[in-house]
Amino acid sequence: MSVDPVPSNSHGQIDEQISQLMQCKPLSEQEVRVLCEKAKEILMEESNVQPVKSPVTICGDIHGQFHDLAELFRIGGKCPDTNYLFMGDYVDRGYYSVETVTLLVALKVRYPQRITILRGNHESRQITQVYGFYDECLRKYGNANVWKIFTDLFDYFPLTALVESEIFCLHGGLSPSIETLDNIRNFDRVQEVPHEGPMCDLLWSDPDDRCGWGISPRGAGYTFGQDISEQFNHTNNLKLIARAHQLVMEGFNWGHEQKVVTIFSAPNYCYRCGNMASILEVDDCKGHTFIQFEPAPRRGEPDVTRRTPDYFL
Amino acid sequence: MEETREAEQAGEKVDENLKVAGGELLPVGRSGLRLRGWVVESRHCPIINSLAREQWEEKLVTSHLPEMVFGDSSLTLSHEKTGVKISFNAFDALSEWKQEGLPPVEVPAAAKWKFRSKPSQQVILDYDYTFTTPYCGSESVDRDPEKVEGSDRNRSLSWEDSSEGIDLVALASKEPILFYDEVVLYEDELADSGVSLLTVKVRVMPHCWFVLLRFWLRVDGVLMRLRDTRFYCSFGSDPNAIPIILRENCWREVTFQDLSAQGFSSDSASYSDPNLIMQRIPVIMKKIQKLRFPD
Repeated sequence: MSVDPVPSNSHGQIDEQISQLMQCKPLSEQEVRVLCEKAKEILMEESNVQPVKSPVTICGDIHGQFHDLAELFRIGGKCPDTNYLFMGDYVDRGYYSVETVTLLVALKVRYPQRITILRGNHESRQITQVYGFYDECLRKYGNANVWKIFTDLFDYFPLTALVESEIFCLHGGLSPSIETLDNIRNFDRVQEVPHEGPMCDLLWSDPDDRCGWGISPRGAGYTFGQDISEQFNHTNNLKLIARAHQLVMEGFNWGHEQKVVTIFSAPNYCYRCGNMASILEVDDCKGHTFIQFEPAPRRGEPDVTRRTPDYFL
Repeated sequence: MEETREAEQAGEKVDENLKVAGGELLPVGRSGLRLRGWVVESRHCPIINSLAREQWEEKLVTSHLPEMVFGDSSLTLSHEKTGVKISFNAFDALSEWKQEGLPPVEVPAAAKWKFRSKPSQQVILDYDYTFTTPYCGSESVDRDPEKVEGSDRNRSLSWEDSSEGIDLVALASKEPILFYDEVVLYEDELADSGVSLLTVKVRVMPHCWFVLLRFWLRVDGVLMRLRDTRFYCSFGSDPNAIPIILRENCWREVTFQDLSAQGFSSDSASYSDPNLIMQRIPVIMKKIQKLRFPD
């Protein structure tokens, strides 16, 4: 039954690690180091446009909301019973970035053919130092080694995936420097996410109501209009662009006359937005079903709705 | 368990203090209190959904809103006798953002971007994506509509400059806090290049209430803005008398360039909490006003 060539008795240790992680308990620094070495071997063999077969369940941002990721697996089915494709942003914002990203990487090592983990704009050295992952590593391990190990590994994550040659999946969106999927296949992705250029666009861009390429004064990616999505899908024989990166109240949001869909998988984002999360199931016959879900019941997480009075001035 | 018991005990203490002060909590299901002629109430709701966003965009004539708009959340302070109501909500704040219409803050990287797309396909997004707002609350007089006649209808509230300041000594006196809350009105992560956040905090003590409305902006590597509006009302001896409400605006702004010229860090991670770094940001505008009631 196992798709992996390695005999099953050698999985004992990683299986144990996975069940430990499923209880939201982090691994030791040494275990993380070994795990990431194995993950690197697997990820470096993957393409910039990693081919994926259906059936597969496509997921958006998680942002360290570990208990909601556990809920996602309860709703979508356990890995490897269900195949998964995650479109990045595993870390920052939530309280459990360490446990979240370690679990996904451990699943990747254990079931490399069953789970695909793409890179999001938060899988970067620079962003994680501002938005939480770096601080969390310091707090949980007492030093920055684990942060360094993971951010070094992020450089190997594939940037995009292609489901059954028709659904193009990535974290952000399109780039004016990229016309074909081959353009993407050709560049060297093993590096920190640059501030500018096609690799940056794939992780940062957003679809917009306005046609053409929008240039935002904030300098974070382009916006692309429906004309751009239509042209890109036509050129590359695609049916759909599935992307994440933006919070949507309903957990998913169609755009550009169903040429683009945004999927967001962190319910009650930042523990206070009250939004639904969703995942997209693509079945054997390439049919699509969205499954929405609400936050998992919380245990041991700070309740941000209960505010401690303070004598602010 | 321990924590729950402590919380319960703290809750009982507040209830007792509130009783002594002559106030009462609002009925179950509502958050707030009634004290000395005032009703203070907060509402916390999820972000608005896609349909509501479309409606807001239409009403505000914009195609962009902050990614998190807590459109149904609010804080309201109403004086029962005079019908004076001071409230805080995202819609009014965004209307004023639209009206102020600041030019967009350009980050250094953005300049390079213009050269990669065909000019014919290029659209420059020129709105103020920082959602900087001059909003300092919404005030109104709610009256029994039947009683409003003739000139009464034109009566409205206004703010006039005042030489009085907010009584910081009274605020520092650590009177028990009978009601406390913080309501987020809107927030945007500026596509992970900083933060734009509008929140309002309230605390009600036996002798006064105090509100801080804060707009906090950090565009990484470029600038920080802090626009604070503080409201203070000291309860008089007569709950039916017209209350005295003071409002203090204080705007601060600094560029990262100026910060590093002064030898301060220009690393965004050191600027996550405005309370800790406020003193480094120079004041660019300050005024104190008093609420003027219709004669």
